[in-house]
Amino acid sequence: MSDAETPPETEFDPVAPNTGEEFEPVDVFPDSDDFDLRPGADSCYKCSTCDTNCPVAEVDDDFPGPKFQGPEQWRLKQSDDDHEIDDSVMDCSNCMRCDNACPSGVPLSQMHNTARGEYVSEQMDKLSVEYIRNRILANYRTSAFFASKVPRLANFAMNFGPARWVMEKTLGVTSERDFPAFAKQTFRDWWADRGGQVQSRENAKAARKRRGLPEDADKKVAYFHGCYSNYNTPEVGKAMVRVYEEFGYEVVAPEQKCSGTPMFANGMLDDARRHAETNVSSMSELVDEGYHAIASCTSCSMALRQEYPELFDIDGIDKVAENTFEAVEYLRIHEDLKGEVQAADVDGDLAEEFAYHAPCHSRNQGLDRQAVELFRDLDGAEVEDVGDSCSGISGTYGWKEEKYEKSMEIGEEMFEHMEHAEGETGMTECPTCAMQMEHGSGYEIRHPLELLEAALVE
Amino acid sequence: MGPTPHIAVIGGGSTGAGIARDLAMRGLDVTLVEQGNLTHGTTGRMHGLLHSGGRYAVSDQASATECIEENRVLRDIASHCVEMTGGLFVKRPEDSEEYFQKKLNGCEECGIPAEVVSGEEARAMEPHLAKDIDKAISVPDGAIDPFRLVVANAASAQEHGARIETHSKVTDLIVESGEVVGIEVEHDSGPGKRVHGTEGGTEEIRADYVVNATGAWAGRIGDMAGLDIEVRPSKGVMTIMNIRQVDTVINRCRPKGDADIVVPHETTAILGTTDEEVEDPEDYPEEQWEVDMMIDTLSELIPMLDEARTIRSFWGVRPLYEPPDVGSDDPTDITRDFFLLDHDERDDLPGMTSIVGGKFTTYRMMGEQIADHVCGKFGIDADCRTADEPLPGSEDFSVLRDYMDEFGLRSPIGRRSVERLGSRADDVLKTDGPNPTVCECEGVTRAEIQDAIEGSGSDLNAVRIRTRASMGNCQGGFCSHRMASELHSEYDEPVVREAWDELLQERWKGQRHALWGEQLSQAALNYALHATTQNRDQDPANGDPVDFSAFDSGRGQTGSSVDSADVAADGGTDGY
Repeated sequence: MSDAETPPETEFDPVAPNTGEEFEPVDVFPDSDDFDLRPGADSCYKCSTCDTNCPVAEVDDDFPGPKFQGPEQWRLKQSDDDHEIDDSVMDCSNCMRCDNACPSGVPLSQMHNTARGEYVSEQMDKLSVEYIRNRILANYRTSAFFASKVPRLANFAMNFGPARWVMEKTLGVTSERDFPAFAKQTFRDWWADRGGQVQSRENAKAARKRRGLPEDADKKVAYFHGCYSNYNTPEVGKAMVRVYEEFGYEVVAPEQKCSGTPMFANGMLDDARRHAETNVSSMSELVDEGYHAIASCTSCSMALRQEYPELFDIDGIDKVAENTFEAVEYLRIHEDLKGEVQAADVDGDLAEEFAYHAPCHSRNQGLDRQAVELFRDLDGAEVEDVGDSCSGISGTYGWKEEKYEKSMEIGEEMFEHMEHAEGETGMTECPTCAMQMEHGSGYEIRHPLELLEAALVE
Repeated sequence: MGPTPHIAVIGGGSTGAGIARDLAMRGLDVTLVEQGNLTHGTTGRMHGLLHSGGRYAVSDQASATECIEENRVLRDIASHCVEMTGGLFVKRPEDSEEYFQKKLNGCEECGIPAEVVSGEEARAMEPHLAKDIDKAISVPDGAIDPFRLVVANAASAQEHGARIETHSKVTDLIVESGEVVGIEVEHDSGPGKRVHGTEGGTEEIRADYVVNATGAWAGRIGDMAGLDIEVRPSKGVMTIMNIRQVDTVINRCRPKGDADIVVPHETTAILGTTDEEVEDPEDYPEEQWEVDMMIDTLSELIPMLDEARTIRSFWGVRPLYEPPDVGSDDPTDITRDFFLLDHDERDDLPGMTSIVGGKFTTYRMMGEQIADHVCGKFGIDADCRTADEPLPGSEDFSVLRDYMDEFGLRSPIGRRSVERLGSRADDVLKTDGPNPTVCECEGVTRAEIQDAIEGSGSDLNAVRIRTRASMGNCQGGFCSHRMASELHSEYDEPVVREAWDELLQERWKGQRHALWGEQLSQAALNYALHATTQNRDQDPANGDPVDFSAFDSGRGQTGSSVDSADVAADGGTDGY
């Protein structure tokens, strides 16, 4: 399992502030993943709204649906060691739409994540192909870390036909999809080359001066770029930095690991916890210093905001959850973003009509209409909502050979709506939704921050 | 040896079923009659505690000793009805240290394995216990399903040749020449399995001996022959929580009092109880304050109960008895011991014995003594085998199976089903046809429902107590109609409808005392679903034949009478 191990801690050049230096890991609650979620079943009155909103249940007749996975299974759960979690929990894609659908506040995704974690750690064969495949997929960051060292070779090798055939046959990773390309320069390399926090501070100061704001205004954010903006789409990370600096914010890019999203979805709670410890430790120190945590990926913000406090008991975790925001959301709260967008226009590359898909995880944070409403009055670009269906990929779900067909079936509605939309460029906040959109439509997919950058940054 | 004596046992609770099984196993002819379902009386209305004896270790050591003996027997012969949860007597700081020591010593004196655990250890076992508890005594309490136990006893009696008649009320004792020689019963739906709509009738059952095991109703039976049996019924409330807040039986360690026990029972936890004497075992007030008091008081032990969801409450009446010369004022002072009243010795009326008092955990022992007594009357020398022969379902079995492969069931559903069925699991669950889940809350599948119907006729409450279907958090909201449809095609529509109505009424009864918070939402949703999809909001379809010609043919149809009709068939948008 050497390829799934965490890469050495030295993988990043220390970029100020190096919050890791003062961190003393303390194993406070060694058994904290053993939450008893039976009381969560008290809120369920069986209405089945979750089941009717579950995209997997819609296409997979063998999947019993979130009501069974969540409140019913937990209520029937027994405390003895021989109690088994039903293996159907592995067919849940963790889109978390059930959380949003529930009228009664049942902690569905928490129940699913916890049960899945228990299933994987207690019942799954650690030598099985499925386990190894899931672990590799869940630890995308590890693969991406190595690939980013040799991006050209990796891009070739990862999409080399015979290699993909072997991957499908031996590991069950579908050969239908193209692996996303690795950037020649990671976001963090760009960030360090650019001068890191010191440069950002200067840029922010200059912007504040330009805007007539007090020079010492307390505007600072900690950027949680996640893996994908770092290794695959650094243009999103760069857009975030430039847009925030334009509004006078000083940006820091603290030490961070995977948010844990793909690990939750695969029940790899130990991996997720290890990564969460790093993220919480660096983010909570910054929060103490007055920073807010900003994510450009809606699944990353979801993880920090909701899944962390639901699944782990790590010092500072609630504080981090309360102070985490999605990148555009934060600006909408603190700036006159709509006004500035109204006054702006775009031309060139991004003067497009976009077919916008709201990721399920953005929906859960109440952000599903944000891009459409924000860009409504922007001259030179149009953003059209392609509806409220799930894209179907749900992170690693659609990468699994046995789930690929279902993933495409779920995505069908979105593909159709993209087809009918005016534009031929897609837009979404979520990296894997973007993969699915591109895969199903052939469109190039952009992030709202990129359009914001084109509109607002000189 | 002469002809086999025929014994009529009145009462289908744990005592009556236990006596019937014992007598049948000794080779006697037995007829058991019960006015309602099995467990209809007190047995179906208890908290399901399998006593270790700890609760009586200070006040009533004879009972405590019997309890621990029978506790061990039942674990063995009724393993599929028992869950050995273990129990704790928890002491809060304000509770008496002296009593705690008395309890501990009492357990030792009665041979009840008891061990002191610190507050911290107790909370490690049960994390939802209050943070400020002092310490606890750990004892081998357990949970037992009274329904399953009585059904298994009756089934075993039947296997040994007994006749079991439910819904058969005794209307008279037949006394001839100064001796009880039989009973007169009124069958609700004819003899045999109950089928709604079947015409009932009166039957005279001649018997060589009659055993009155009607508990709190014993006085009524006695009246029929002019006997004075002074049972003092005492009511107690029990409240069922939606989930198990604890997996161990939690007792408050203080001298007897109200609201001092929580029993984890199947998917739920049952809070108990109160003790108040009533006049009539069938007609007494059920008051909300009793429920509130239970939740408040037990929240001192388990604070989360305060906010937790209750799904129903029910009251039971204890059949307490004490010899007339004792004269206790307070029902909590009346002994829990049982008394065998031979009416020949006591009232010069041969042919009948009444059994009164006693408690569920020692039902088998009571049955044994009665059976000895009855056998003695006929000079029969047969050994009691009820302590050794497992009940049907409790033969060797393991709940650890590959549920998906063997039965095509999801793990938690397969596990719960096998726990309920015990050694009968293979017979019941291995079916050729599709086996969908009928009751999702409790994980009950069609195969188990069908098995119950086979055993109990069209009575869905009898199906309920055999399977737990409709006993979960929606209280039948989502499964009552499914259970009813399982009666088809063996039974016709009118039978199904009557059985279904009866089940819904019964489910509603206990929910009345839980209508706030989440269970109120549940009841509102159930009502909306039943009204809109099952015509349960008093549409005439439930009563007289519908005059379909009174309806118009809908909007935009030729010959539409929308304008003139006074019936708004479109739901009201046109008519009002």
